[in-house]
Amino acid sequence: MKSLTRRDFLKLGGVALAGTAGGALLTQQNTLAAEPGMKHGSAAIQMQEHNGGLVPGTFGEVNHEKNGFNPTDILYDFDYGKVSTLPNGQTLREYEIVVINKDIEIVPGILFAAWTYNGRIPGPTLRATEGDRIRIRLVNGSNHPHTMHFHGFHPSEMDGVPGTGPGGSVAPGDSFTYEFDAEPFGLHLYHCHVFPLARHIAKGLYGTFIVDPKQGRPLVDREMVMVMSGFDVDFDDANDFYAVNAIPFHYQNHPIQIKVGEKIRIYLVNILEYDLLNSFHLHANFFHYYPTGTSLTPAEFTDTIIQGQAQRGILEFTYKYPGMYMFHAHITEFAELGWNGMFEVLA
Amino acid sequence: MNQQPVQPPRSIFTTLGLLLLPIILLAGVIAVFLNTGGGLNLEAPVPVETLTIERYVLKDNLIEIYVQNTSPQEITLAQAIINAAVWPIEVSPNATIPRLGRAVVHINYPWSYGEAYAVTLFSANSIPFNLEIPVAFETQEPNSKSFWSFALIGLYVGVIPVFLGIFWFPILRTLGKKWMTFLMAVTAGLLVFLGLDTIAEAFDQAANVPGAFQGIGLIGIGAVSTFLLLDAISKRQADTGRDEAAKRLSLAFMIATGIGIHNLGEGLAIGASYNIGEISLGTFLVVGFIIQNITEGLGIIAPVLRDRPSLGSLALMGLVGGAPAILGAWIGGFAPSPTLAVLFLAIGAGAIFQVVYEVAKLIQKDTVKQPTPGMVFSGVLAGMLLLWVTGLLIK
Repeated sequence: MKSLTRRDFLKLGGVALAGTAGGALLTQQNTLAAEPGMKHGSAAIQMQEHNGGLVPGTFGEVNHEKNGFNPTDILYDFDYGKVSTLPNGQTLREYEIVVINKDIEIVPGILFAAWTYNGRIPGPTLRATEGDRIRIRLVNGSNHPHTMHFHGFHPSEMDGVPGTGPGGSVAPGDSFTYEFDAEPFGLHLYHCHVFPLARHIAKGLYGTFIVDPKQGRPLVDREMVMVMSGFDVDFDDANDFYAVNAIPFHYQNHPIQIKVGEKIRIYLVNILEYDLLNSFHLHANFFHYYPTGTSLTPAEFTDTIIQGQAQRGILEFTYKYPGMYMFHAHITEFAELGWNGMFEVLA
Repeated sequence: MNQQPVQPPRSIFTTLGLLLLPIILLAGVIAVFLNTGGGLNLEAPVPVETLTIERYVLKDNLIEIYVQNTSPQEITLAQAIINAAVWPIEVSPNATIPRLGRAVVHINYPWSYGEAYAVTLFSANSIPFNLEIPVAFETQEPNSKSFWSFALIGLYVGVIPVFLGIFWFPILRTLGKKWMTFLMAVTAGLLVFLGLDTIAEAFDQAANVPGAFQGIGLIGIGAVSTFLLLDAISKRQADTGRDEAAKRLSLAFMIATGIGIHNLGEGLAIGASYNIGEISLGTFLVVGFIIQNITEGLGIIAPVLRDRPSLGSLALMGLVGGAPAILGAWIGGFAPSPTLAVLFLAIGAGAIFQVVYEVAKLIQKDTVKQPTPGMVFSGVLAGMLLLWVTGLLIK
């Protein structure tokens, strides 16, 4: 069956909206008009109450079910692949990733005609240990050629860039298997490398690739993935909304719950297009920062870092006091356009 | 006696049927086209959406945006961004606006006095609609104080300068006939300039009129019908066979009317620009209007210089010519509507050009007896240059 695209959906309009398919969206849009916002103790509402309602943000909720992912789950969702051992003793991790076009409701009421890996933004967080054999079968279920280009060591024909063989441009309906050893250890990423590149990335084709050191990293209580990106919904090559893990203001409306004294590790990746820099600022705290995660010794103890396009790094911190703490891009314009979140630190 | 060929009497139903036949066929053709698409693929990849932002109102920590959906189908407003920040919106009566329906977008926003804001409203199809607030200040609500202050602006811009021009009456009456013809020509020049100015303003405003209301078409309707209507009225008066002085007086009143409608347009512009903070940036514009409009008083009295119009008539002419500026300022200030503005400006232009035509006839009548071609040429040119030069000084 032909999947329903955004345009089809809109064309169906009244018909679809009356049915079950569009019911949820309609309800939300009406909510937007009639009754602003949910009332169950979200951080945004708390902020609203303290400021007489004068806080940037979104009211209501995107349809996570229809989107097929929830940023709260993406935080903790690490994909270790189908694990087996090769005759030479090497660990083999196999993945299958399908590129599909999908309309994603990024803010309440606005559908973004996204291109996705496995129907989600960011794509699955692939995680391996240094020296593992990685085998990723990319199936192109969309109507454009796409690839997976990994940051890390690999042969040219596994680079996923046009001109490097069959893996350099996977035609619609085709597939290609990328295979290489996971190295060096660190925090990396993957993205489509078909041209026009900025558009292919900004449409949603990106994800995190974590290579753990052989001996592992020191144990922590909680590990999270945060992928910073933006959305150019009107296609003028300028972002209209910014977010971590795709949905603007998600962690502002749904604070991330952690506990006092817990050791937190965040794998932070910047895959923002159209803007040169992105940043991360943690309130009322400092963190150890490991640029690109390629060293086990922190490079910095700070509360704000800057990342250029495709830069990434690991943050480690612990909260001393309970309460609500913001984290956001200290490029404050991005924060007010969606890249804002809250930690709710429980005693 | 001629025998008219007798038509067989046709029944009223046959007549009606014949009248309706093409319309019924038309409905059939449209039905066929809508059902088959006429062999054309008419599905647009993106729905065409246009939203007319009619005006905005700034209150304490609140921005209200009045919009009208002028697209072929309904629009759902989803999000708003103000100066690079996403702000929650409430849309009343509903975020989904039917075609040609209106809605008000309420945004709680801590705006600051005197600063500029750029608002982008996003529809559910990610189509952005932009509003610029050049200078933020609390919107004047229609109350007695603001009513009076708009009236005062209209008074300064319209009534006072027109009357000041009329005050030239005693001195100008002493001029010779030749110079009176010159003054009539000056009036014609002034009016041509004002007419062009009004038409240009109408075209400017037409760009802001929602597409469905066809601003350019409104200009045609307003200008042409006003011209023809005034022409019919003046011909009827000519037929009543009154004396020349009475005709000249009625011409003066017609000039006053044309100028009055022009000043209504100026009032609209001033009221509207006051609302977006342009007037508050300087009284310069008002001073400019005063200087320019004094020449309008001159134009009004030119036809009756050789007569003895009553003081009452002169006063009435001044009011007819100047007071509409007050009305315009009220409309522009409290209920600005580009559609209405275009219609008023078009009516003004039609009236002015009709008056030019009347003045030209009068000049011709005078110059038949005493040809003064140099006077007419130099008068018309002087009239246009007068407004051009004063415009040069103030714009």
